[in-house]
Amino acid sequence: MMSDQQIIEGCAKHQRKAQQLLYDKYSRFLLGVCLRYASDKAEAEDILQDSFLKIFFNIKDYSGTGSFIGWLRKVAVNTAITHYHKNLKFRYHIEIEEFVSVETGISSFEEDFFTSDELFMVLNDLPAGYRLVFNLYAVEGYKHKEIAEMLGIDTNTSKSQYSRAKAVLRGKLEKLRTLKSNYSAGNV
Amino acid sequence: MEDFRDDKELSDLFRQKLGNAEVMPSPSMSSNLMRKVGMREFLRFNPTRFNIWYAGAAVAAAGTTLAVILTLSPDKQIKEIQVNQPVEINQGSVDNDFTKEIPAPSAPSEEKVRLPESVKNIDNPAVPEPSSGQKSAAVSSVSGNNQTAEAQRVNSLPATSVFNEAPDNNKLRNNSISRSLIETSGTEGCPPLKVIFRSLAGAADSCLWHFGDGGYSSLKNPVWIYDDPGEYKVSLQVISSGIKSVYSTVIVVHPKPLAKFEIAPENAVLPRDEISFRNYSEGAVRYRWNFGDDITSELYEPRHSYRKYGNYNVQLVATSEVGCSDSVVIYNAFSSSGNYIEFPNAFIPNPTGPSGGYYSPKSDEASQIFHPVFSGVTEYKLRIFSKRGILIFESNDVNYGWDGYYKGQTCDPGVYVWKVSGKFINNGQFTKVGDVTLLKN
Repeated sequence: MMSDQQIIEGCAKHQRKAQQLLYDKYSRFLLGVCLRYASDKAEAEDILQDSFLKIFFNIKDYSGTGSFIGWLRKVAVNTAITHYHKNLKFRYHIEIEEFVSVETGISSFEEDFFTSDELFMVLNDLPAGYRLVFNLYAVEGYKHKEIAEMLGIDTNTSKSQYSRAKAVLRGKLEKLRTLKSNYSAGNV
Repeated sequence: MEDFRDDKELSDLFRQKLGNAEVMPSPSMSSNLMRKVGMREFLRFNPTRFNIWYAGAAVAAAGTTLAVILTLSPDKQIKEIQVNQPVEINQGSVDNDFTKEIPAPSAPSEEKVRLPESVKNIDNPAVPEPSSGQKSAAVSSVSGNNQTAEAQRVNSLPATSVFNEAPDNNKLRNNSISRSLIETSGTEGCPPLKVIFRSLAGAADSCLWHFGDGGYSSLKNPVWIYDDPGEYKVSLQVISSGIKSVYSTVIVVHPKPLAKFEIAPENAVLPRDEISFRNYSEGAVRYRWNFGDDITSELYEPRHSYRKYGNYNVQLVATSEVGCSDSVVIYNAFSSSGNYIEFPNAFIPNPTGPSGGYYSPKSDEASQIFHPVFSGVTEYKLRIFSKRGILIFESNDVNYGWDGYYKGQTCDPGVYVWKVSGKFINNGQFTKVGDVTLLKN
């Protein structure tokens, strides 16, 4: 098994074997990242493919300092943003019903109640703009100001997109929770 | 507070569960990706060190050897056809839209054309018979010169003179000048710049164009549109019977100016007000205004008085130093400003008694009634107060003004305050406050 360092050097020399190893090692992780930014797996794989092309051809840009996996994640996130912008005109904005604000009866979301698959599904259903901002802020940990710069939007737009994203997510999780409890209750 | 906790939990949930989640890609993903990587690497000619490049070089070397062997056998005809073809294309195109040819050859392309050169250099001396050898050399130098001639915009140079001036001494020099196979419809312009590229390569040769902005094409004569300003290095890679050569040229897309202006005052009344045009254009040096009433100006910030009220479309064309221009039109620039309402600041009531307040411009020549001049008013409410704040007069009809009387008594001379509000025909609202002095004869 090659170390990351060896893989990076191999990729810099465009060695097919090193590229394959890099893919085998990190594709699952990166697809996890991409899937958060996509509306389905096919779209996520498109983003993943573009990300890998960028990674393979720009691996020299990786400075060697800082975590490699962090760099990979950054490339994937940036690719997802590019992808979002490219497809912007094909997307519809939000359906009206999504705007119905949710009265939160939920006090907390237990971590183990929802599976990753369910969370992915909920995220995939989100309108693309909301999903992008939510991911960047909540999961990637960027500040609203940084997000605004990355996306070329206003800071306040980022904030409001985020809070709307949360409202929609909360509503969906609530629905899912009711469904799940009913289901398990009915089964027992 | 509770809301905040909720937020955090929601975000935490997603971060913890999905932040490092792994998802299995489809099985076909890997092979698709690797195929794409392979293609990209093939298309990128960066002569560092990948295998495909070596393979290409090997093929090219093999091709060279093959070509050398072939030239020793009598196949001049094929050569002439190959060389002649570009000449024909030249002549056909020079007079058409390809008038702006600009030097394509440059140092890098010279370096990269080494392979075909070496073929030529070996091939010419190797020709045994002097007569036919000269012929083939002459023909090839015709096409070579034609290119350079074009590059210097000496298109009128007749081909025969080139033919005659090509002695054996110049032969090698001509051949060593990289003759670019690139023709373009222009090398500079304003965005969006449409460039017609033409490859002078033979029909059987494969062409690969890189347009310098990431785009590429394998068409022989592609058309490419540059949207953004910049300097684009265009390269053409020709594979001719296994020999790869690269030519390049530069396309310059100039920055586009931005035409932008505002009209002041904002709610100008035509034809009363003189209009100022505030110029906010960027990157321009020349301006041309069309005020929409058949009057134009080339000032930076002109002023203009319209002769009558109307719907005018005002256009500004801003042109940059290199001649790129942008234009902007404000349609119906004064649509909101045909409507107005203005009040006088003094009047003299009719001393003979109250008139009721109805007036027409003709009947009130002596200004005995306080009323506005107006245009396009649909809703109207005028109220007049005394200095103590007592409501003295109220009117909801713009044709009904104040005659200066209150409860049948003529009011004291002095200052009265009025307030008016209402709507114009275009739904624009107005509210005005002012004072009027009541005078006495």
